[in-house]
Amino acid sequence: MGVMTLIYRGILALVIFLVVRCCFREKDFWKQTTAAVVVIPMLLRLFMIK
Amino acid sequence: MDLNFKGNKTTACLLLGAALVICAISGREFMANAGFDDLVPAAGFERKMLSDYFDGLRGSRMDTPVFVQNGAKSGGSVLILGGTHPNEPSGYVSATLFLENARVVKGRLFVIPFANASGFTNTLPQEASPSRIHITRSDGSARSFRYGSRDTSPIDMWPTPDIYIHKSSGQELAGNESKNLNRAYPGDPNGTPVERLAYGIMELLRGEKITLAFDLHEASPEYPVVEAIVAHERSMELAAATAMELIGQEIDMRLEPSPKNLHGLSHREWGDYTDTLPILMETANPSQGRLRGRTDETLALTGLDKAYAKAAALGRLFVPYGPDGKPLSQRVARHVASISAFLEMLSLFDEENGVTVENVPGYEDIIQKGVGSYLGGIGRSN
Repeated sequence: MGVMTLIYRGILALVIFLVVRCCFREKDFWKQTTAAVVVIPMLLRLFMIK
Repeated sequence: MDLNFKGNKTTACLLLGAALVICAISGREFMANAGFDDLVPAAGFERKMLSDYFDGLRGSRMDTPVFVQNGAKSGGSVLILGGTHPNEPSGYVSATLFLENARVVKGRLFVIPFANASGFTNTLPQEASPSRIHITRSDGSARSFRYGSRDTSPIDMWPTPDIYIHKSSGQELAGNESKNLNRAYPGDPNGTPVERLAYGIMELLRGEKITLAFDLHEASPEYPVVEAIVAHERSMELAAATAMELIGQEIDMRLEPSPKNLHGLSHREWGDYTDTLPILMETANPSQGRLRGRTDETLALTGLDKAYAKAAALGRLFVPYGPDGKPLSQRVARHVASISAFLEMLSLFDEENGVTVENVPGYEDIIQKGVGSYLGGIGRSN
């Protein structure tokens, strides 16, 4: 795995952490839903599935 | 209706849990694409891996099966390579048809049905390609083949450069070509995944002293080099005789010389870097064209598209296009009949290095009975 891919996955992991944190702090249900939907492609990417 | 629901930690847990479930279901489906489609090799074929020829591919998603059958009489050796571009199904279905029917009498036959295994695991964005095609067999059952991408998957090769510089020639191409197996020859044992794959195929050609090698492709009907043979200058005499033989069988076939200044392609680099006689062949596939309308499995199987019918009426295509479209059976029949004609000509031109293969259906047989009639049933031998 190249250095670029490692950096890319590191950035993804950070953004996923921030989105999940945002989801827990958010008081609006629909904004929580948006955060959960955003997490899906990022998780698939983080684990190099898609 | 008031849709302003309050969120809290419980709803966050439920929503993120649902996201994880969706990830698991879709991830399982995506990961199922990483295996190879089922094959039913004819009796006598031995299964190897390309990594047996170049160890640098072992354990990677670029490794791919190589099938070999030896004839009782000694002769030359022939390689049939399908799946260089996994969105060109007549190539890998033709290779599969040989694998599942051929009986080698003289010489050796090598078949690689899925050359770019990584390309079979994804489809190109914005092309709306089907993920699979299904070919109906004569008993009504279906064989399923993946419909992939021209490029190696970004899972295996990333990032894509703005400009791809072909290493051995310095030729500059668009960045996405860096992921194209047919721009990577002669390859590099220490290069990118696709350069290592190309190097593995070159090692097979050199190590097995392949006499004649085919790289099977498809292209859009508005592309000039279609329903054509592209031949290296060393293969040209053989290709010219074969084209005449095919025209004699009423199978129209163009003959194009491999451009000397277009690097990275099989028909150029196989001939320049090995002793093999390289041949690339193209059939016409409307599901790859820019004029096409709705893109789905039916289009990939039938080649029927009203925009192509209109383009043909306006004289804008390089191939005849009738009311039957360009069905997969016809495209496969062209490849199979052309390879059979090449083998016949090879035996005429160079008897010692000739290769004789029996039990391969003819052009009319495939068109009339359908390609599915010549594919084995999964779960039983042919």
